[in-house]
Amino acid sequence: MGFKATPAVAISMLALATMRAHADATIDTIDRYVTFSGFGTLGVVHSDYGEADFIANVIQPRGVGFSRWSAAPDSDLGGQAKFTFTDALSGVIQVLSRDDSNGEFKPSVEWANLQYQITSDLKVRVGRMILPTYQYSDTQNVGYSLPWVRIPIEIAYTDAGLHSDGLDVLYRVKTGSVTQNLQLQWGRTQVDLPGVEYTSTPAAVVVFSDTLQYSDASLRLVYQNYSSSGLPRVRLQVSGAGLTYDPGAWFVMADSNYSQDKYFGDLFAWYVSGGVRLGRFAPYAIYSTTHAQSVGTSGLKSLGNDHTVTAGVRWDFAKNFDTKLQLQQVIVDSLDDPATFADVRPGARVGDKAHILSLTLDFVF
Amino acid sequence: MPPVKRHFRSSVLSALILAALAAADTRAGEIAVIVNLAAASISKEQIADLYLGRSDAWTPIDQVVGSAIYVEFYKKVTGRDSAQVKAIWSRILFTDLGVAPKQLPNSAAVKKAVAANPKAVGYIEKSEVDDSIKVALSVN
Repeated sequence: MGFKATPAVAISMLALATMRAHADATIDTIDRYVTFSGFGTLGVVHSDYGEADFIANVIQPRGVGFSRWSAAPDSDLGGQAKFTFTDALSGVIQVLSRDDSNGEFKPSVEWANLQYQITSDLKVRVGRMILPTYQYSDTQNVGYSLPWVRIPIEIAYTDAGLHSDGLDVLYRVKTGSVTQNLQLQWGRTQVDLPGVEYTSTPAAVVVFSDTLQYSDASLRLVYQNYSSSGLPRVRLQVSGAGLTYDPGAWFVMADSNYSQDKYFGDLFAWYVSGGVRLGRFAPYAIYSTTHAQSVGTSGLKSLGNDHTVTAGVRWDFAKNFDTKLQLQQVIVDSLDDPATFADVRPGARVGDKAHILSLTLDFVF
Repeated sequence: MPPVKRHFRSSVLSALILAALAAADTRAGEIAVIVNLAAASISKEQIADLYLGRSDAWTPIDQVVGSAIYVEFYKKVTGRDSAQVKAIWSRILFTDLGVAPKQLPNSAAVKKAVAANPKAVGYIEKSEVDDSIKVALSVN
């Protein structure tokens, strides 16, 4: 399903929603057939680095440069409508406005799918979904759901494909006190690869993930394969492992992925993060990096290389609102498109340090 | 001010303070996690998993978000405050993998819903417990 199919899906969902069947008013019955919700972030970023633009999302072609404040990298607004047709069948549409690969805030459909619950542990979705390539990638736009201003950009460097149009199978297996959430996603995506001009090359994508949850601990393993017949012909494989332990009063989280690609070479990205919760305040720190592991046919030796140290605090100052203040130092380890930057200028040098200050207001409704 | 009147005032004041303390004590007092009479037993870990969206083996029923019993329940059973719980459910909601537990206006409504559904789990003040439901866990 491509963009063109989306309005048709929307119309059929609305039509189905209005033709809802009568249901008993017991506790199990969902008594509302359409629910609306939304999220957003108002953010400003400042950078002291003049030789490149700091970006918040790998697809952004421009960001914030020297001594400038910008609201573009982090600000977004999303709206979601959830349609419940029967106990087993539902649909969702989520529209997002965020600085995109064209440098515009043009609203785009991020989720549009029909979901069918086959058993209590098995469900299938057909339509558009955000790719679950790394931890929290599918809620990367919902600032309120994240402990930080944004997901460390290094981990997302090779995953410029955003959503996939296709099939998603979710299966839950319980073994004693361990629950495994298995997910298989198969579809087509538009992929913007790092290091090349932003083209929208259609690619076939398969993602398989297994999240093992044991009380407050979870381990997430993921494998993703992109195949694109565009130029250059691309096969990009991403294998990742992430770990979270969050008992409530504090948290630690780590994620990593290894990307393999003949043209661009292999890349290894990872981060570790920790934080504590002191009443309404939750200070945190992150170390994140990406480093090239081999040279591909492109000849690029150090694609994406940089590393970042981040410190920040989340303040839950009101119901459904938070504000975050984040300071980071990024060290440029390569002039071959360092992950955190776009528009690298001739004056940039390996070893340059950039200081980025971000202030955001997140909300959900 | 005549001493008697002053004495009266301070007595009223102490009584009010005592009453307020007593009320606060009841509110922050014991919570009973309740299930249907026909239901099997459920552990504290299973209850936490349900209310944090990690399991859908049962149907959790919530009190009003931000109410004293809501805050106390999440703090004691899941170790999390209202904002953390909201962040967790936002992640689930915006990936369309579930919806937060249905909220009911008071303990009487929760009790009634649990009594009517063998899969339901709820929480109420311990003083509200009667023989229409059974207590799965007492939270102090």
